[in-house]
Amino acid sequence: MVCDFFHPNIGGVENHIYILSVNLLRRGHKVVAVTHSYPDSRVGIRWLAPGIKVYHVPLRVLVSNATLPNYLTFLPWLRDIVLRERITIIHGHASLSSFAQEAILHSHLFGSGFESMFGWWRRNGEQEESREIRTVFTDHSLFALDDATGILTNKLLAAALNNVDAVICVSHTARENTVLRAQIDPRTAYVIPSAVIAEQFKPPPKPLSTDTITIVVISRLAYRKGVDLLVASAPRICALFPQVQFLVGGSGPKLINLLQMREAHRLQDRITLLGAVDHHDVRNVLVQGHIYLNTSLTESFGIGLLEAACTGCFIVSTRVGGVPEVLPKDMIEFAMPNEDDVVRALRKAIAIVTAGKHDPYRAHERAKSMYTWEDVTKRTETVYADIVKKRPTDLWTRMHRTLRLGPFAGLIYFIILLVECLFFLFLEWVCPRDQIHYVEEDWTMESFKQV
Amino acid sequence: MDSTRQHSPTDDKNWERVLWRRLPYPDNYVPPRRFLESLRKNANFTPYTYSPMVVATTSVCQHIANIFTFLSVFIRLKERKSDPRYIIWISILLFVIGYASWEALFFFQGSPLRKDSRSRVMRSAILVFLALLALAPVLRTLTEATSSDSIWALSFSLFALHTLLADYTAPLPHDSHERLTSVLSMNAAISASVVLASRLDSDLSVFALILFALQVFALFPLLRRQLHYAPTAVRLGLTLLLSTTSVVLMSEHSHMVGWIVSLILIFINFVSPAVMVWAQREIRGEWDVAVPVVGGS
Repeated sequence: MVCDFFHPNIGGVENHIYILSVNLLRRGHKVVAVTHSYPDSRVGIRWLAPGIKVYHVPLRVLVSNATLPNYLTFLPWLRDIVLRERITIIHGHASLSSFAQEAILHSHLFGSGFESMFGWWRRNGEQEESREIRTVFTDHSLFALDDATGILTNKLLAAALNNVDAVICVSHTARENTVLRAQIDPRTAYVIPSAVIAEQFKPPPKPLSTDTITIVVISRLAYRKGVDLLVASAPRICALFPQVQFLVGGSGPKLINLLQMREAHRLQDRITLLGAVDHHDVRNVLVQGHIYLNTSLTESFGIGLLEAACTGCFIVSTRVGGVPEVLPKDMIEFAMPNEDDVVRALRKAIAIVTAGKHDPYRAHERAKSMYTWEDVTKRTETVYADIVKKRPTDLWTRMHRTLRLGPFAGLIYFIILLVECLFFLFLEWVCPRDQIHYVEEDWTMESFKQV
Repeated sequence: MDSTRQHSPTDDKNWERVLWRRLPYPDNYVPPRRFLESLRKNANFTPYTYSPMVVATTSVCQHIANIFTFLSVFIRLKERKSDPRYIIWISILLFVIGYASWEALFFFQGSPLRKDSRSRVMRSAILVFLALLALAPVLRTLTEATSSDSIWALSFSLFALHTLLADYTAPLPHDSHERLTSVLSMNAAISASVVLASRLDSDLSVFALILFALQVFALFPLLRRQLHYAPTAVRLGLTLLLSTTSVVLMSEHSHMVGWIVSLILIFINFVSPAVMVWAQREIRGEWDVAVPVVGGS
């Protein structure tokens, strides 16, 4: 698993990678994670329970936990890790992670195809079986195609995914978005949603009383999360329904707007602002609510909705991105991203909850059965099995495909490809393979259980 | 797992766009009719047509013509072909004409300016005039240590910045709030003119040039923005006037430069809208960031 975003950083992508790795480990695979180092001495090799080896590569972080895209300085580290651990599949995550994209670009160098063309390092007399490194990429978010950042980053993504073996997207909308952005063959894109650990999100032991209805909002308070809609609709709902309370968790640049709205309408006792909520506290906040409100303006999957549904909340969300695909219609009420419709949806939700038509325990059972990590892991394994069966692309095909990227980008990436091959040959000469410390024994679940 | 392979790939009757249910299709199944069904190409698309774009581009043309007019005045002052006092009088005259047009414009638009704003404007104009008079000797020695070549390069980049960042949009009647980029662009132009003025010899010519620069780069753009609401003929006429002025003034120094200037103006005003009209496309879909609508009924 290669990604800039991994623990000790907390976030959706990080959690996803970690839990997926744990489940793959449980099914007997060997999982190694590669991420960047953290300044206060978190460099080198760490172990995460229950047996995931994490390599923290000492490359500088640029902004928001992503490293600077440098196509060649990552190569020596990657080569060392891939050879030592005898990696067969490289799985990159997150479009904004330059590690993931570079790992996918470099993957072809380690295969026997490349070796057969240039490999003087192949030990004499040894018949190596055809061993290629396959690549998978998981894309977690949606991006626009028509603004300036979109146009540039989509080209980078298209170059990285030019020769990838499979792409996993978390929703059908995300798949369409990724296929368009990266111009890949849609049949290489798989739709595997994320999942939630149901045991961590159990509903409250006793049902909440419907004398006061609590509406919970947990999100980063930024423009993209639709805080403006919340700010506009909350006073109206509070005026229409005197029994409604709001509970808002999370912080961000738009916290000011919420505070101002609260001051202006004198709703200090109706709207509670919790500030930033730690991940392990999220469940405790969610169980206090009858309704979960999500006003995001764009959402590829919406894991927060799933967590809230698991905890037994009734969901009200804006109908954007991949949200319509996540839950069946009787567990969620949709709203168009305008203030009037959000108010309408909230009224309907409050009516449903007050009438007792929503059963939190049944919602928990349903959500539990719809999205399980076992299912996600099995489907991911199917993807791995599929790609191992495919024929690898050799260097000439790869070069042709790179040149097809476009008049400028194609040429630039072709040059990068050539330099990368030369650099790799140089590395083979400077750090020969027989001097690498191969990892002989790995952690398995049995050894972990013994310990 | 075998149940996922039941249906043939061409039969997408049972395919639904849901994630909460396992569909009897493999994960990488591409529904032939429904894939990218929400893709809308060129939906909110009122294509730009040529003539309105040409009229809109006249603002850019006016800016560039202004810059060249200023440059020709600079060259005249530098080569002492004109008397600085003449330029000062022209600047003052321009100020008076400009302010009168400003008031007339607002009057015709139906929201005449208040009486105290007039006295405020007069007060600040006189203050600026006197401050410049005091500062001119200092400004003259500003770039003594720098060679002329770097000055030309610096002023070129600053004028380029001014053209790029200028506010070409029509002003909203209730919103007189200046955008950051338009303030930056004015600053760039004034810096360029200060830097050029410091190449001149006498204090009076420095003062003249900077006063002229203030009229042309700080006050005239405001007036031109207000002219957005004037009839098209006025805008076209003004553009023509400014362009010919700049071309004529530049040709006095060198014919070739005159040709280059006219070529640039024609290119920007007529060729670039054509290119823009040719290159239009739009692509939208479900994944786009929604635009929230607040403050409804």
